[in-house]
Amino acid sequence: MKARLVITPHLCTGCRTCELACSFTHGRDGKIGQSRISPLNGGFSDIHIPVNCLQCEDPACVKACLAGAISFNEKTGAYEINQEICVHCLACVAACPFGCSLVDNQLNIVVKCDLCGGDPVCAHFCPSKALTYKQLQSKAVGPK
Amino acid sequence: MVTLRINGKLVRAKEGEMLLPVLQREKIDIPSLCHHKAVEPYGGCRLCMVEITKQEWSGRQNMVTSCLYPAEDGLIIQTHTTALIELRRTILDLYLARCPDTPEIQKLAAQYGVFQTSYEQVAKPDDCILCGLCTRICDRMGFGAISAVNRGHKREIAPPLKNAPPDCVGCLACALNCPTKHIQYTDCGFTREIWGRKFELLADKQTGRPTITREFADYLSTHRDIPRDYFEQNDESHRKETALILGKIAVWNREVPQ
Amino acid sequence: MKILKTKQLEQLAEEYRKTAGRHKKTVTVCCGTGCLAKGAQKIVEAFEEYLDRCKVRDFTVEAVKKTGCHGFCEQGPLVVIEPQGTVYTRVKPKDAESIIEQSIGHDAVIERLLYTNPADGRKIEKYADIPFYAHQRRIALRNVGKIAPDDIREYIAAGGYQALAKVLTKMTPDQVIEEISKSELRGRGGGGFLTGKKWRTCRNVDSDVRYVICNGDEGDPGAFMDCSIMEGDPHAVLEGMMICAFAVGASEGYIYVREEYPLAVIRLKKAIADCEEYGLLGKSILGADFAFSIRIARGAGAFVCGESSALMRSVAGEMGEPRAKYIHSVVKGLYDHPTVLNNVETFVNVPVIINNGAEWFTKIGVAKNSGTKAFSLVGKVRNTGLIEVAMGTTLREIIYDIGGGIIDGRSFKGVQTGGPSGGCLPAALLDLPVDFDSLTEAGSMMGSGGMIVMDDKTCMVDVARYFLNFLVSESCGKCVPCREGLYQLHKMTVKICEGRGTEEDLIKMEKLANQIVAGSLCGLGKSGSKPLLSTLKYYRDEYLAHIRDRKCPAGVCKNLITYRVNPDLCTGCMVCVKACAYQAIAGRKKEPQVIKEDVCRKCGACVAVCKFNAIDVL
Repeated sequence: MKARLVITPHLCTGCRTCELACSFTHGRDGKIGQSRISPLNGGFSDIHIPVNCLQCEDPACVKACLAGAISFNEKTGAYEINQEICVHCLACVAACPFGCSLVDNQLNIVVKCDLCGGDPVCAHFCPSKALTYKQLQSKAVGPK
Repeated sequence: MVTLRINGKLVRAKEGEMLLPVLQREKIDIPSLCHHKAVEPYGGCRLCMVEITKQEWSGRQNMVTSCLYPAEDGLIIQTHTTALIELRRTILDLYLARCPDTPEIQKLAAQYGVFQTSYEQVAKPDDCILCGLCTRICDRMGFGAISAVNRGHKREIAPPLKNAPPDCVGCLACALNCPTKHIQYTDCGFTREIWGRKFELLADKQTGRPTITREFADYLSTHRDIPRDYFEQNDESHRKETALILGKIAVWNREVPQ
Repeated sequence: MKILKTKQLEQLAEEYRKTAGRHKKTVTVCCGTGCLAKGAQKIVEAFEEYLDRCKVRDFTVEAVKKTGCHGFCEQGPLVVIEPQGTVYTRVKPKDAESIIEQSIGHDAVIERLLYTNPADGRKIEKYADIPFYAHQRRIALRNVGKIAPDDIREYIAAGGYQALAKVLTKMTPDQVIEEISKSELRGRGGGGFLTGKKWRTCRNVDSDVRYVICNGDEGDPGAFMDCSIMEGDPHAVLEGMMICAFAVGASEGYIYVREEYPLAVIRLKKAIADCEEYGLLGKSILGADFAFSIRIARGAGAFVCGESSALMRSVAGEMGEPRAKYIHSVVKGLYDHPTVLNNVETFVNVPVIINNGAEWFTKIGVAKNSGTKAFSLVGKVRNTGLIEVAMGTTLREIIYDIGGGIIDGRSFKGVQTGGPSGGCLPAALLDLPVDFDSLTEAGSMMGSGGMIVMDDKTCMVDVARYFLNFLVSESCGKCVPCREGLYQLHKMTVKICEGRGTEEDLIKMEKLANQIVAGSLCGLGKSGSKPLLSTLKYYRDEYLAHIRDRKCPAGVCKNLITYRVNPDLCTGCMVCVKACAYQAIAGRKKEPQVIKEDVCRKCGACVAVCKFNAIDVL
């Protein structure tokens, strides 16, 4: 059984609540954090896409990380960056084809979506249920 | 799991886990300059030393670096005895003789009541505290472009033969993890210079903004099995492109009956 | 030809003894590095050349044996006639003819080449009567100086590889470890750790791969025991390693030889090649289920690589830096596999313990310090050289009975034991028994066996400065207390030597020295303060003289001494004026000369040439 953040794009209204929730949740030392989720225009006036880490099966970020800072959390279903190991080389930021490894310029760290440790706030606060966190019954998907 | 007694308090830890992470978890303020989770512990700065003993040692004590000592059941640990504080004071005093103008050292030394060195200052002081983090991280990344050269007091961090390092890819891991910001680098336009070597920063195809160096991108695509064209765009461009692709899929999904 | 059975070993020994025995006499020429430097090779050539010219009956070139170091280095080049044991000292190539004619052709003795006992002026002929040798007990050095080190048959004929055969055919690995443990053999490299315990811990680690390493780095200045053993009896080293490998379960071994010992490398390489040819190294050694191979790893001129973890890094091709050893090398050593590291001298004791039994070994020496120890006795003694005595022998016996006392009629001031990490012991401790525990208790240590004797013209502050300088340049630089601390300590000692020291400095130095001991990562740092702390303990008044009176009592520290001509003794011969390179001496002929203090560099040239002892060093 594995958990996934399910994105249903046609339900997204572009309200950016997810972005707000994410950056406030990941704030530290009195500063707000960099949002890991980026609601962007989908190429049509009424299409909005919350672009977020797709927790790939064969993640480019893991392959790019030479220090071994990115690892899979079985419980949440997310790949997490261990900030104590990360050396800031930005290889993952450059390698992710979806652009979902980002630099938090305020806190000076490299971040990516970690599904908030099992209860993603973006899904929690999304008013239109475009973002939902589901435990999948179907075939197990996980790290190769 | 094992049980330790730290400053009188019973604490649980994994057997074989090094003591320093355990002490840090317990929020005990142990100074350390050469420790980084990305690399193996080094034991070079000696600031993280603690006093240990065990019931069966009949009063015999040992002073060990907590970063390298594995947790064992029944270990009794003291972190702030007079002897340890004296030792840390001496070490920081010695550091100040080598690095008198380094803010990070000054701050740490001030915590232990040392405001200037009581020893003779070295002839050419600089900010390098010889913690070895840069070389150890560079080795861990797989490049090994720089290393500690010369012995003893003449020890310094340098590329081979002090020339521009052939194995460096300009990832900046060394400079960004240096505790005293001693390693210099410049990013000017699309040129990066570090360790006396110039690198070309790749430009994002859409915005033209610089990303990582060409050498680093080449290395990652050759050795880590990542398609080389991933590096032609920066993360912002990638996100925009992703949104457009997913947008198209959303439109198709809407038009196709469920 | 491969030796597959113990019987073959014995047969080979028998055969060789017969062929060698057809020479009723043998001429052994010491070809240790010291005597080679003094021209031993030319002496050998002179013998061979003479023998080629005139065929002496029953005596051929084969009977001239080039052996390892005989030990009596002060009197070299040495030639010993066996079996009578006649010792010829300070031999020159032109003596070869007389030696063959008189000592080989006849049974005569060449008086002028014999050793003169300075105590009574009498000549001594036989090896066993010379006090230098008479007080020694040579076990580790049993073959050094007796056999030709580059011929495996000599070693086998002397009983070599019998212990290996015994171990492989009659003992189990556990029994071997048991025997070594019972013998209480302690590491001869300086640590003095129980060898049997070390082997047992290594064996008990669950691993398929284990290594045996022999530490031939011998970095202590003035130490040449391991040098002489590796050059003079390389097979004993190999045999010890083989027995260890069998006991702990290792199949690969390394001998780490320091860069500065090329002859040792040559001898060891030959020995290894011969063993491989005879099947004593490789697979199915002596027909048993035991495979072992040995390789030589060279050092590159770093004292710190004598430290076990730095040594292992060096063998693996990395920079020689020690690591904290809370997890010992016997558990995780070379390439993270369990590794036994022992000193050269420790290994050569192993075959003899197996052959003669642990109990025999414990009867030599004193309680908890069994066996003997080799020392390189150097400095201001009459008889400098390589010696071996039973543990527990006193310093007095070593320095006076064997060493022959202090030269030039000076008085004994101190002896430095254990190399740069050891301490100086004063005259008051001359009756201290030399063993691991007594030396450590007195503030010094056994170390690898260097013994530097000092007279009253040695400045102890200068000695501390010298050793600190050595340690500063040999420190690897990884940890702060050693790298920065010893550097600062050295600087402060220099200050005192130059007459700029204060009493506050002394207090600061003592405190820093103790912190260096507490905080350092490895043995180099931890014992680096010993030269200072031990000289402060026993010779504090000398430090105070430097500080308070700005004087160097021993007349060494240049800033604190003055050279002055004694007008009552000076004859005005002006030989010193010619000798002075700085033109610091002036005066008229036949009148007392005067030294210009501000020009004088205190080089000592004038003192050396003055036949009237008219120049005082104040």
